[in-house]
Formats: sequence, structure tokens, C-alpha cells
Amino acid sequence: MKPPPFSYHRGRTVEHAAELLRELGPSARLLAGGQSLLPMLNLRLAEPAHLVDLGSAPGLDVIRRDGDMLVVGATARQAAVEHSSDVRALVPLLAEAVEHVAHPPIRHRGTVVGSIAHASAVAELPCAAVALNAQLTLLSADGVRTVGAEEFFTGAFTTSARADEIVAQVAFPVTGPGTGQAWSEFSLRRGNFPVAGAGASVTVADGEIVDVAIAICGVSDRPVRARAAEAALLGTRPGPEVVAAAAAASIADLAPRVDGDLAAHILPVVAAPVPAWGYRASVAKSQVRRAVTTALTRAGGVR
Amino acid sequence: MSQTTDSHADVPAPMAPHKDMKWIGKSVKRVEDPKLLRGLGRYIDDVVLPGMLHAAVLRSPHAHARIVSVDAERARRAPGVVAVLTGPEAAEQFGPLPDSGPAPDKHVWRVLAADKVHYVGEGVAVVVAENRYQAEDARTLIDVTYDVLEPVVDPIAAAEDTGNLVHEALGTNVAYERTFTFGDVAHDFADADLVVRDRLRWGRQTAHPLDTTAAIGDYDAGTGEMVVHTNSISMTWLAFGAAVALGIPSNKLDLRPYISGGSFGSKQFCWRSTVTAAMMSKITGRPVKYVEDRLDHQLNGDQHGSDRYYDVELALMRDGTFRSLKIDCVDDYGAYIQFGVGSHGNALAQVTGPYRITSTEYRVRAVLTNKTQQGAYRGFGADAGNWALERIVDKAAAELGLDPADIRRRNLIPPDAFPYHIPSGNMYDSGNYEPVLDHALQRFDYDGWRRKQEAMRAEGRKIGIGVVTANERSVYGATEFWFWFDDKDVPVKTTSTPEGVSMTVDTVGAVTVTLYSTPFWGNSSDTVAAMLAAEEFDVDPADVSVVHHGTKGGLPAAGPGGSRLTVMLAGAITGASKKIKDKLRRIAAHDMEVDEADLEWVDGGYQVRGAEDSRRSIGDLAMLAYLVKTALPDGEESGLAADFVYDHPHLTMPKPDRSDLGSFYPCVGHACHLVAVEVDEETGSVDILDYVAVHDSGTLVNPRSYDGQIVGGTAQGVGTALAEEMTYDAAGNPLVGTFWDYLIPTALDVPEVNFGHEETPSPITAHGIKGGGEAGRLMAPGALSAAIDDALRDHGVRVTELPATPERIVGWIQGHRG
Ligand SMILES: Cc1cc2nc3c(=O)[nH]c(=O)nc-3n(C[C@H](O)[C@H](O)[C@H](O)COP(=O)(O)OP(=O)(O)OC[C@H]3O[C@@H](n4cnc5c(N)ncnc54)[C@H](O)[C@@H]3O)c2cc1C
Repeated sequence: MKPPPFSYHRGRTVEHAAELLRELGPSARLLAGGQSLLPMLNLRLAEPAHLVDLGSAPGLDVIRRDGDMLVVGATARQAAVEHSSDVRALVPLLAEAVEHVAHPPIRHRGTVVGSIAHASAVAELPCAAVALNAQLTLLSADGVRTVGAEEFFTGAFTTSARADEIVAQVAFPVTGPGTGQAWSEFSLRRGNFPVAGAGASVTVADGEIVDVAIAICGVSDRPVRARAAEAALLGTRPGPEVVAAAAAASIADLAPRVDGDLAAHILPVVAAPVPAWGYRASVAKSQVRRAVTTALTRAGGVR
Repeated sequence: MSQTTDSHADVPAPMAPHKDMKWIGKSVKRVEDPKLLRGLGRYIDDVVLPGMLHAAVLRSPHAHARIVSVDAERARRAPGVVAVLTGPEAAEQFGPLPDSGPAPDKHVWRVLAADKVHYVGEGVAVVVAENRYQAEDARTLIDVTYDVLEPVVDPIAAAEDTGNLVHEALGTNVAYERTFTFGDVAHDFADADLVVRDRLRWGRQTAHPLDTTAAIGDYDAGTGEMVVHTNSISMTWLAFGAAVALGIPSNKLDLRPYISGGSFGSKQFCWRSTVTAAMMSKITGRPVKYVEDRLDHQLNGDQHGSDRYYDVELALMRDGTFRSLKIDCVDDYGAYIQFGVGSHGNALAQVTGPYRITSTEYRVRAVLTNKTQQGAYRGFGADAGNWALERIVDKAAAELGLDPADIRRRNLIPPDAFPYHIPSGNMYDSGNYEPVLDHALQRFDYDGWRRKQEAMRAEGRKIGIGVVTANERSVYGATEFWFWFDDKDVPVKTTSTPEGVSMTVDTVGAVTVTLYSTPFWGNSSDTVAAMLAAEEFDVDPADVSVVHHGTKGGLPAAGPGGSRLTVMLAGAITGASKKIKDKLRRIAAHDMEVDEADLEWVDGGYQVRGAEDSRRSIGDLAMLAYLVKTALPDGEESGLAADFVYDHPHLTMPKPDRSDLGSFYPCVGHACHLVAVEVDEETGSVDILDYVAVHDSGTLVNPRSYDGQIVGGTAQGVGTALAEEMTYDAAGNPLVGTFWDYLIPTALDVPEVNFGHEETPSPITAHGIKGGGEAGRLMAPGALSAAIDDALRDHGVRVTELPATPERIVGWIQGHRG
């Protein structure tokens, strides 16, 4: 379990890193916290010829409010986001989701943006980004563009970013009054990737749901918005039956996946003993119910 | 109606627990810990020898394939590479590995596959390079051409199949098959009021020490000496097996033990690592280190446990009294069978558990398939056996409407029946089971929990309670490696698994114990040895020096395994100490000019009975023994040193027709585990709410480290029951390689264990000690299975397959609904 040979390059700035990626071509890979990439190298699941390390580029580890958005820079560690009082107050779903990522030592190395860029279909943070409608800033030698989280994820470990584009930051909309958020997941062992998980953000005004976004992970090749569930909730005065019906709707229009199809979405290994789709879907349903119920309580909507 | 016989008149009556000891029975901090906690333990991977090379093994990607050719030329030319040895080359230069399977010449086991690969992960070639990175890079340059064969995966089908064979020379995939009948099973079944039947599946799990198996071979071409530094066991009396494989004289091989971050049985022999490192050192003339990485270990280590399919029948009376037991077991051994069916010997040693059952039929079929072969994992087959028995007992209780604790109590062997012979012939030396059950029920507050359970269930919560009463046999005897076969087929009837120690008391009275084949694996061997020596000489355990000797020139020793070590070391240290103390007494008597018989040992010295002021301390006497020959009795040698080899305390021979296997695992402890769980019906997750474990392993040596054994064993039992599984797909591909998917419970998943102890000393061992090394893992799977059943009783769910993963539990709930 030793990595194949590679050459190591240090990006002095994010722009320099982008130039290096351009110069070195498709055999180069960006290195952030290394908590996904290094295991892949050790298992020889990835064999990049070059690693471009973003770690020492200045100013990239920001966590700051910028108007209606909370901006998380490319090298901000998961632990820093977890412990930020700004994140907890402004984007509670992100704060709760990141607590479920791995264990503390890993969160002290791993980055929030790296996890999103890695685009695992069962990971918490990509799913939270979809639920929150986060905006990603992609930077390359050609300049900068912005994409929404939902367009960013195109499949298991694949995104709409080009190989030479860096996700320089991810911006999350901050919550307003009347909004409650929650993350709920079930994993086979504490700290593992979930079997399925759900993030919900619900805004209640005068006892009525006026805005809702729900995303689920673990049931497709990417995190997905549960639009049917959202529709079932929007405009209602929520109670347990409504929430249960919405949870059922959340998985109703998903395409079932054959056994093993989801294996590759956790770690790009050849095979893994992963739970079958039917089980995942039923777990997802229960997590939607739990997340929405908690979010509503937090929004003051269900008493 | 017990089965006590007097044919073993040599078994004394059980003794009362003795409380007058200085160290034994006291919780003592481990003497190993100061070095381990400061990072000074020196594990094998910390060892760096001058000029040392590093090995990596190329592994088969196929479950079953013929090796057409291996071309290592590109690898040989790669940077840093010093040597490459392919399987076919190794077969020409080195012998097969030592194998105690039924027909070793027909399922030849080699360090590297020679002509056929038999499972994914079997070694095909070894690369040795200046560092491990280069070795792994070069490994990818070896070109192997395979002729892929149909894999043998399902053991039930493989047992019948004679067309597709794992080993052609064997002519079958069934390496061993026999039905044992102990007592009048037919009569007891006919006489019984009812028969309860169960079909059970114990999934394949693996011991997973953090520290994988490793070795450094260091060959001296000048002297022909081979030193192997290794963290696997190196039994002095069997090390010749590795010498034969390496083609060197047995007295030129020295296997030197190192501490290891865990074994759990998996480091019993580990011939492959030792032989891999040693043969490459012989070839290159330089030290070679081979450390299994996690994939090496999972795919090709020696830590896979039992993989069993059970049909179990229990015949009993309407009042709940058990009569007879039938077990039919298919065990999927994988591609080789290095320990024979020893793991069924472990099951047979306590096949009827703590219960009075008068007869037993046991059928075993050991099937070979294209999977990694089994090794030894904590419990070594008795883990699965205990679970199967407790499952059928729970089913009987449910069918008769009896409380699970009550049906057990009704059948426990009574205290006056010991020593007790179970149907298979094994003797239980002593026991007092009911107080263990009572203690556990009280500690758990069983009645209180039952009331709480009903209240919580009324709120819709799925709460369940499980109870098991189960035994832990300890101190295996050598007959269990051959009693499987008829006398005519057994060339050598080994009857000993001895353990030797050497002890010295130096000039100033300081004590040193030398152990053989007894590395530190987390089982506190040094603390045990130090406490036992401290008890004899009235010194502090922390002041006893413990030395680990290599195999060369070593006394016979078999090291840890089958929960034998504490008992065997106690016998050996007591024996060696007595030799030294007898000599001290002779010297003291001579020096004080008194009769030996008037001396008594008090507080680290000899004194004249009744006269405290006339005494000689151990230091006074040692000074004389080493420095003042003229003060010694005539003919007494200078110095204070003694060897003692302790043989198995109680081993009797099997009957020729094998209707009785003799006594082979006689130091038998007992435990009761109680657990309360909550099951989430939606996700299938099992939350442990309360856990009580009460154990009786005879005289307690160090309660603190014994509790550690129970916690660790229970943690592994939780993994066994709920999460851990080594799965293969239909083509024989292992689906699990790393801790990513092999789900060992972490500290966050393991309950706080509430311990209790009872002490029923063994009448046959020094100090009355019994082994306790597999504690916990032998009980937790049964207790958790029962608790899940109870929690899901409305759905009619019964746990008949382990692990009971969340997905399986949800499936069972849905299956019973639909
Ligand atoms: C034991 C263990 C348990 C884990 N458990 C979980 C879990 O429960 N849930 C979970 O979500 N994750 C888990 N992880 C993964 C962890 O969260 C990773 O840290 C994360 O997935 C990747 O972030 P990173 O900063 O470490 O990125 P790296 O590993 O450095 O990179 C990952 C990939 O993303 C690319 N990348 C990184 N940053 C950028 C960027 N700014 N722009 C473009 N591409 C980029 C890299 O090129 C690489 O391909 C676990 C990891 C370990 C080792």
C-alpha cells in the first residue's frame, strides 16, 4: 500500500496552482487535505504523475460572511468549519453535516471544499451543498466562473469542473428568520460514510411552509434534490402525516439501482459489500423524515 | 443425574478460593505499559538492520487459475530491485510450509503458488528492493499469464462436486468428514418429548490486529545461521517446520519474538511471513524485512475465522430438561487447512456448554474452496459452537414459553457433579454455575429491566433483552490435533503441549524469568510472569525482569493460544521457583546449622519456625550461593538458576473407536452475559443500552488485565454479532480489503461493560487458575442475537445468521411482514 511514483509541486498561490495544472496537463491532480486522495494513491486507485499542493497558498482558508453568503475557502479544514460560530449561526445545516464527516483527526486535515470537489455520492458535504444551493467558484488559468451545486455534480466522482479548474471557494446562502435546518444520516459505524443521509432547510411563516429544500445522498450516483418531497411540503401546515408523506415521496421517483452499482460511489474500488438499493432507499426515506421533522422544530413550525 | 466418573481419580476435589496471596488476585498495573505508553516498545517495523532490504509480494487477482508463465525480467531490471523470486522458482528451492491438515501431501501448501493459484491474494512472486516503494513499483512489472479456471465458491455445492477441485490430488473438495456419536443419541431422541431444530449460519470474520504480521530474515552465509525477528509466534518445539521449508538445519534457525500490537489468535504460526523474509535473506545475503500491509493481511494473513453452516437439533422434555444434541456442520476452510479441523476440537471440548446433556452427535465436513484459508481467531471454533448452542436453547425456551434465564438454570450442571465429563469425553475440572447466573441477573437487575422493557415497548420502542450462560474451555491438549483419525492413521501420537521457563535469582536476590515462545501480544505475558514470580519470592512484580528467548536452544514452549498461557506459566514458574527455593532452603539450613524441616519461607526469606529473629533473606542467601562456595552444603553447585518444563495438567487418551475423545481441554470457565438493546425498525441499527458480564475463570491473577480481556473480547463479539464480515462474491472475489469496509467496532460502538467475578478454582492447576483469554467473544454473539430476537418478537424475527447487519435486520422484518 505505497503510492506509485509522482512528482510534487507546491502552488504558491491559487493562481500559480492553476497555472501548474494547465502546464502539467491531465496527469496532474490537485492535493488538498489528502484524506481521500492519499488513500486512493496508496491503493493505487489513482496514479497521477503530478500532485499540485494547494495547502500553503495564502488566504485560501477563509471562512467569512460576504453579504448574504458565507464563503468557505478551498483550504479551510473541516474542523475549522465545524468549530466556527459563524457557520453554526449562519448555515446550521453545514455545521451539522460536517460533524458527521469521519472522525476528528480526519476533519483536522480534510477540507470542506476538497470533499465537495471529490464528489462522492454518499458524502455529507456535497449533499449539504445541494440542499443549500451553494455556489462554487471555479478558477483556472482562463479566469473564474461560478456554478450552482446541483449543476456541479454530474455523476460519481465526476463534476462539471474541468481537470485544470480549481474550486477556489464555495459560498453558502445564510439563513434568515423562520428557517430551520437539519442533517440526518445513518451509517453502519459511527464516523463512516452514511448508507443514506438527508439535509433539509425549511422556512415557516405563520405556521405555513413557505420555502423548503431537501437533498439526499446514498441513493444515486450523486446527491439529489428531493423535489417531490419539497412539493408535498410547500404551502402546508406541517404535521407528522404530511412529513411522512413527503418522506415517502422523496424516494418514489428515484430510479432503482442494481446491486453493487453504488459500490463505486463510496471509494472508487472495484467492489465493496455495500447495502442494496432497496435498503438504502428505505433508510433515505427515514432520514428525510427525521431531518425535516428536526428542521421544522428548529424553525418553530411543529410544536 | 450427572456423568461424573471416578476413572480420573487423579483429579483432586475443588479447592476453596485462597485469599491469602500477596500478588495473585490483586489488580496490578501492567509491567509492559511504561515502555509501550512512551513509544519505546520496539515493534517489528521499528527494527532496522544495516543493509536491510524490503519485500513486497505479488498476489493472485484470480480465485482459481493455472499459472502458465511468470516473467519477472522487467521487474528485475527496475530501480532498486535486488532480487525477484517467482512461485515456480521458490518451489524448486524451498520446501512446502508445515501443514497439519488431513493430507498435507495432497493439498500442498507453499509460501508462493507454484502451478496454480487457489484464491485471490495467494502469493505468486516476491520482489526485494532497497525500499518498499521500489518493491511495490517493480511488483507491477511482473507479467503473469493465467489460465483462469472456474472458481469453487459455495462450500455446500463444492462438497458434492468432484469435477471442479481446489486440489486435484485430493480427488474431492471435502478435506475431512466424520460423524461422531457420543452416548445413545438415538435412544435419547426417541425418548424426548420434543425436538427443536435450527439452521444457522456463522459468517466468516477475521481477527484484525493493528500490527500486521511481519518478519525480518537475517542470514549469515558464513555460519549458515538464520535469525528471524518476528512478531508471530515461534513455538520452540515446532520451529523445525520452518527450518525444513527453508532447507537449513533446525539448530541453525533462531526465531526471535517481538512484541506485537495484537494477535487474537492470528499470529499462531504465520509461517508465510517468516519464510518469505528468511528465504529472501538467504537468496540476497542481506537482511530482508517483510511487513504485511492491510491488504496483504486481509487477503493472505492467517486470521480468517470459522465460516460455518449449521443444522442443530436439541431433544428435550416438556419441562425444559435437555436430553441430547445433534450438530451437523459444514465449515468453509478456504483453500488450505493448516490447522486441520482443530477448530472443531475446540467446539467439541464444550459442545454441550454448561448444560447436562447426556448424548451428542457431531458431524463435521471440512470443505475446501477458492478463498483465503482459515487461521485461528479468538475462540477458534468454540465461538461459533457456543453461539449455535445458545441459539437452539433460546429457540427451545421460546417454543416451551419458558423464560430464557429459567430454561438455562434448569439445565446447568450442578456443583457437586464436578469433575464432570461431557459426552465428547472432555472433562470440566470444576464449576459452580448458578451463582454466576444469579450474580449476573442481580447486577443487571433482570426483573427491573423486564419491567422497564414492557413500559418502553408500550411506547412503541423495540427493546430486547438477551441472556447467555456459556463456557470457556482453556488449556488445550495435543490430542485434539489427531483424535480425528483412527489409530492406524496416526503416525505420531503427540501428547504434550509443554511450556518451559528458566529462572534465576542473581547475587543480590533479583529475580529474572526467561520465557520461550511467549511474545507480548497484548495478553500481558510479562505481567503474568512477573506476578507469579513475585508471589513466590515476595518481591514487587515491577522488579522482576522478564526476558524473551528465541527458539534456538530454547526449552519446549507453545506460547499463547487456547487460553493456555497464564495456566501454563503458573505451572512452570511455580515449578522453577520451587527448585530455587529448595536450594535456598538447603543453603539456609546449612548456614544457620538448623534442620531444613525447621525452616519456613516468610516475607522473602527463610526463618526458623517460631523464631523471627533467626532468618536469612533471599539477598543473604543469594550472596552465599554466588560468592561463598565454602558456605554451601557439600555437592551444591554455585548460583541460583532453574529450568522447569510444565506439561499439560490433565490429558487423557481418546478411546480407539472415538466414542470418547478423552480429556483434552479440561480447565473450564463459565460466564453469563446479559444485554439490553433497542432496535431501530427503519434502519435496522442495534443500540446497546446495558451490558453485564460475570465471569468465573478460577482464581483471578490480575483482575485489571482480566477485565481488559473481557472488554476486548466483548468488543470483538459485538463486531461478530452486528457488523464484521469477510464477504466474497460469486466469483470468489473478496469484497472486503481494508477497514473501510471491514467494520470493526470502534470505541464509539462498544458498550460500557459492567463486570462481575466469581472464583471457582481449578483443582488441577497451580493456584487454581483457569484461562480467560477468549472471554467475551464466546458469549457476546449469543447474547446480542437473543436480545435482537426479543426486541423484534412482534415481527417473529429470529437471528439465524451472523453478522446481524442493519440491512439483514430490515430484510428479516420485511420478510416476516410479507
Ligand atoms: C477514515 C476516513 C473516513 C472518512 N469518512 C468520511 C465521511 O464519513 N464522510 C465524508 O464525506 N468523507 C469522509 N472521508 C473523506 C474526507 O472527508 C476527505 O477529507 C474529503 O473527502 C476530501 O477532502 P480533502 O481535503 O482531504 O481532499 P483530497 O483528498 O486532497 O482531494 C480529494 C479529491 O478532490 C480534488 N480536490 C481537492 N480540492 C480541490 C479543489 N479545491 N478544487 C478541485 N479539486 C479539488 C483532489 O484533486 C482529489 O481528486 C473520510 C476519510 C477517511 C480517511
